[in-house]
Amino acid sequence: MFNLRDWGAGVWERSGRPVRVLIALGAIAAAASLPLLGGTFLNTPIADYGSVLVFPVAIFVIMALGLNIVIGKSGLLDLGYVAFFAIGAYTMGILGTKTGLNSWEILPIGIAMAMFAGLILGVPALRLRGDYLAIITLGFGEIVRITALNLNSIGGANGIVGIPTPPTIFGLEYTFDNHRLYFWTFLIIILLTIWMIRRLSVRRAGRAWESIRQDEDAAELMGVPTFRYKIWAFVLGASVGGAAGVLYASKTLFISPDNFTLQVSILILACVVFGGMGNIWGVVLGAIILGYLPDRIRFISDARLLVFGAVLVLMMNLRPDGLLPRKKREKALPEKGQS
Amino acid sequence: MSESILKLQNATMQFGGVVALNDVSFEIKKQEILGLIGPNGAGKTTVFNVITGVYQVTKGDITFEGKSLKGRKRYKITRGGVARTFQNIRLWGDMTALENVITATDTHKRSGLISGLFGLPISRREEKRDKARAQELLDFIGIGEYADRLAKNLPYGVQRRLEIARALGTEPKLLLLDEPAAGFNPAEKVELAKTIRKIRDAGYTVLLIEHDMSLVMGVSDRVVVIDFGQKIADDLPAKVQNDKRVIEAYLGVPEDAS
Ligand SMILES: Nc1ncnc2c1ncn2[C@@H]1O[C@H](COP(=O)(O)OP(=O)(O)OP(=O)(O)O)[C@@H](O)[C@H]1O
Ligand SMILES: [Mg+2]
Repeated sequence: MFNLRDWGAGVWERSGRPVRVLIALGAIAAAASLPLLGGTFLNTPIADYGSVLVFPVAIFVIMALGLNIVIGKSGLLDLGYVAFFAIGAYTMGILGTKTGLNSWEILPIGIAMAMFAGLILGVPALRLRGDYLAIITLGFGEIVRITALNLNSIGGANGIVGIPTPPTIFGLEYTFDNHRLYFWTFLIIILLTIWMIRRLSVRRAGRAWESIRQDEDAAELMGVPTFRYKIWAFVLGASVGGAAGVLYASKTLFISPDNFTLQVSILILACVVFGGMGNIWGVVLGAIILGYLPDRIRFISDARLLVFGAVLVLMMNLRPDGLLPRKKREKALPEKGQS
Repeated sequence: MSESILKLQNATMQFGGVVALNDVSFEIKKQEILGLIGPNGAGKTTVFNVITGVYQVTKGDITFEGKSLKGRKRYKITRGGVARTFQNIRLWGDMTALENVITATDTHKRSGLISGLFGLPISRREEKRDKARAQELLDFIGIGEYADRLAKNLPYGVQRRLEIARALGTEPKLLLLDEPAAGFNPAEKVELAKTIRKIRDAGYTVLLIEHDMSLVMGVSDRVVVIDFGQKIADDLPAKVQNDKRVIEAYLGVPEDAS
């Protein structure tokens, strides 16, 4: 049977550096040209095509990449990922409306806030495993939302309106409907995130996470400081979620607690599971499909949760590792002896 | 061969009503191969578990190089120089053999997440060094050719050996082997005995749990016998074999009669 993941990995491994650079540039160019294809069959009848690409698609991709560090790489079931998204968005909302700071200045602050929250949650929660961790994180997600709902100083149920757009760069203006500019900006963040995850995955941290996911006790007994690496996974995942939140608020310019329900955590989890836990490209693909299709096909939009639920159940049975499963393949055995 | 590296002092391990270890004391000397034998359920694996911090002794103490291991975190015990294999193989199946060993060598890397992220020279240097070291260990154990195979797809005997290579990857001073020859045929056992001696000659100290009498008697410098959680003998292999209590303990366990 044709296996897309193995085929892709095979092409990549057989290629020299110049070919790899070409493939990467081609993929980036293809992604960057997506907003230009509005008139084609890709067009979305339900919402404006350009805006769909920015949200949900690009934002989902960023969040799915972040959640993938936590659940896909390290095997930690986090059901409250939306909390970090909310913290990023609220940091943008509050600082954006109350101080003179702009989006790019707030971005690192939002990331830091989310990381801090990840640390606060992670230190007690990561001593627990499996179901317990899932329940604690789920609770945390709800606590953050309910806190926002009840804090009138940050808008309460009304949320925050009038969040400023990012400042003009190179003469390019982030007007509300300049979707292309937003998309390209978010694409850069996506590429940075992918770069970070790929870098981490091949070195010590990646191996530590992988060993923890496969057998945490064995990892600990082989000298891996498992707790520390779980915290790192959590905090890094949170940082990506926080970044997504800042960007989201900079685009919608209006946020309210309703944007940060448990449903968001579940949707992003669905993107990860559907695409292929632990595989960056699978996760990206999953987020693109689940972000885009509801706006393309009215039926899915009408019965979104039902369809997603059905898809997940089907996937679990037919292809439990997702569209593009994580690496489980052996390198083509080399002829030469060593390294 | 005189100085002791690890000491169990009146170690007692109780699981509810079950006393898995009862007041067990013995020591391992540097560069020694110490056999640890006993009938099924005697408490051998429990000795490994209390040494490596999986369980905390309910009474008594364990010292490694003169320092108590009590309350020390498991990964710190390993980093301090004690590594083990598992009776029921616990490799990371979805990693290659080489990756399994490199992950263990990470134990003594100084470069962490940040230097890995930015590809700092220290990270790259250590990666290169440890990859070479891991391959060297696989070769040393005699399974170098399997480096790029996923651990879960390896033949059973190779998996057992990979467990040893992975433990050596942490650069231990003391190596704990829990039934490394389980399921081996006689030829493989002979091979393994050679490997264990080779490991000792390379400067490691070995504590070996093994059911196969000819293997353990052949390779050990000294043998400790436990039965129902109690130490019943601690002597040279030849003496232990003729010990009355040891023979009694093993009666009725036909496959283990030497
Ligand atoms: N976590 C635990 N909880 C309760 N009882 C335990 C636990 N671990 C070990 N035991 C008990 O302690 C006793 C010794 O077990 P242990 O695994 O150390 O034996 P062993 O000598 O390694 O046996 P074998 O040769 O079968 O591997 C057994 O009775 C076992 O049931
Ligand atoms: Mg045992």
